[in-house]
Amino acid sequence: MDSSFELPDSTDWHATSLPLFEPLEAALRCEVCKEFYDNPVITSCSHTFCSICIRRCISTDGKCPTCRAACQSDKLLPNYAMREIVSKFQDARPKALELARKDKEVSDASSESKKRKLGDTDIEEEPARQTRSRQARTQSRRREGTNGMPIEVPDSEDDGDDSFEPEVEGHVKCPACKESMLDAQLWHHLDVCPGLENSAVGRSTRSSANNTYPKSLQSRPKEPSPAPTRLPGLNYAMMKQNALTKKLQDLGIPTWGKKDLLIRRHTEWMHLWNSNCDAVENRKSKRELLRELEVWEKTQGGSANIAEPKVMRKDFDGQAHASTHKSQFDGLIANAKRKREAAKAKKEEETNEDREKEEARLNEGIPQITEPEAIPQPVDVVHPYEGNEAALASVREKVEQANRVGTTLPSTTSPKPTLEETRIASQAYQGMPNPFGSPTRKVPMFALPADPIVDVEQSTTIQ
Amino acid sequence: MASSASKRLFKEYKGLSSDAPEGITAGPVTEDDMFLWEALIQGPEGTPFEGGVFPAELKFPKDYPLAPPSMRFLVDVWHPNVYPNGQVCISILHPPGDDPNHYEQASERWSPIQSVEKILISVMSMLAEPNDESPANVEAAKMWREKRADYEKVVRDNVRKSLGL
Ligand SMILES: [Zn+2]
Ligand SMILES: [Zn+2]
Ligand SMILES: [Zn+2]
Repeated sequence: MDSSFELPDSTDWHATSLPLFEPLEAALRCEVCKEFYDNPVITSCSHTFCSICIRRCISTDGKCPTCRAACQSDKLLPNYAMREIVSKFQDARPKALELARKDKEVSDASSESKKRKLGDTDIEEEPARQTRSRQARTQSRRREGTNGMPIEVPDSEDDGDDSFEPEVEGHVKCPACKESMLDAQLWHHLDVCPGLENSAVGRSTRSSANNTYPKSLQSRPKEPSPAPTRLPGLNYAMMKQNALTKKLQDLGIPTWGKKDLLIRRHTEWMHLWNSNCDAVENRKSKRELLRELEVWEKTQGGSANIAEPKVMRKDFDGQAHASTHKSQFDGLIANAKRKREAAKAKKEEETNEDREKEEARLNEGIPQITEPEAIPQPVDVVHPYEGNEAALASVREKVEQANRVGTTLPSTTSPKPTLEETRIASQAYQGMPNPFGSPTRKVPMFALPADPIVDVEQSTTIQ
Repeated sequence: MASSASKRLFKEYKGLSSDAPEGITAGPVTEDDMFLWEALIQGPEGTPFEGGVFPAELKFPKDYPLAPPSMRFLVDVWHPNVYPNGQVCISILHPPGDDPNHYEQASERWSPIQSVEKILISVMSMLAEPNDESPANVEAAKMWREKRADYEKVVRDNVRKSLGL
């Protein structure tokens, strides 16, 4: 069975014709877990989180993670509107994403051929095209969006829009819910397909994005729900271990471990149970909650020392990302070395001067005297940031900008670092005790590039 | 079955790989363990750290993002807010309840809505603007306050050394 899941997130909209859907989707995701809101609740300070997430936060420090206002878990109220929006968005997402990706491919292809014509006469065009492409395209897309370019998003409730769905090579439709998916995904999907029943009423909370979720997250079998009675908090300090053990036994959860572990386990169970009470539909069965507690036990509870299972491996093309990283790292290092070398002669002079001064001082046996701040600095000593509000502001601005706008990492115009150079750079990290120096440790990011670093930033590099 | 912590870390990794701020690269050392990351930070321009590339490791707790990671530089970083062993000491890496330095605003401290990206950006601005009120490296803070030229020279020498020049 094909198990090439991915963890969908808002960055999936990057490479589409609808980049503005990224912030939209981000707004529908919990800031704590980054998942779509699951049983969203609103705090008394009007911030929204998954019920389980805010309950965990409150038991950690009693504060809202967003505004730090004091919060109580018994003051949380379900946010029905958000629940509905998230559910509908999830229904609409797969088709919208697919269309927006196709649209982008089409527009890329056409701009590609235009560029190629220009390229015949204009050699400079080539590197610029590679670096600017994403941002430039994003911007042009944004303009089109605001100019009212019609963006058609299929209505998920409209069951008669089969003709609207583009035929994608290698895609098949689920015979039960009509969801389009990769051939290889169908078998997995059939295990968890909400089926005709749900697609007909169009109200499955987990939507058709289901087929991309790990199985355990999506199946919500119709088992008897626990009674929606919330568990009260316990005054752990007042309870002896025996009483606590008895309490856990009554709740039907594991009772092994020391008192501290019993407290943590009970707290987590309370979070799982009470957040499940905030669910309106598809409430989980106690068995499912127990399974979730087991996951907690393995990852954070009494069995947490067991290594994290390798779920992520199949979620992710690690090789591709490692190589992306590697070239970014190599780029940073090569760039730094190049800049350094350029400035080397000058810096060396300064250093020598400094050294001479130092030696002169030592020879005279005069202790180094602190220069009062007020005295103007000698010209060759540069203090670009001291009292330089403009420069500081520019750093702040850059930092903010970096925070706001995604920019590609600067690459390098110099030829790719030679094996020797890279080795030297890596060795340099061992200037202090370095756990990364262990020969058994995998450090894919520092592996040597198989291909030369692509020269992408030529037009903008400042020498 | 992955914990919510490793799922969230994975999402941050995915986000950073596709869209990292300029001068910052970060990701797990191996994909078998989402709780140990490696990062590279470029020295901010116009500071003595300019031209340097600073590798660091981040260790995440099992209940991340309820608690913050710890961060340690793997090269010598001479800076008031970096311990001699490389451990970074800035407000965003302290949980709100834990206030060893008293001067910090609660709003600057760790909260589950912060992220690896915000940490690395804060560290970049820390390199440009040290906070010497409650320094991690008392010597470096003293030198930064009183002998700025010497401070910058040590920093520049470390940068050169770390690049093997
Ligand atoms: Zn959440
Ligand atoms: Zn709040
Ligand atoms: Zn189906």
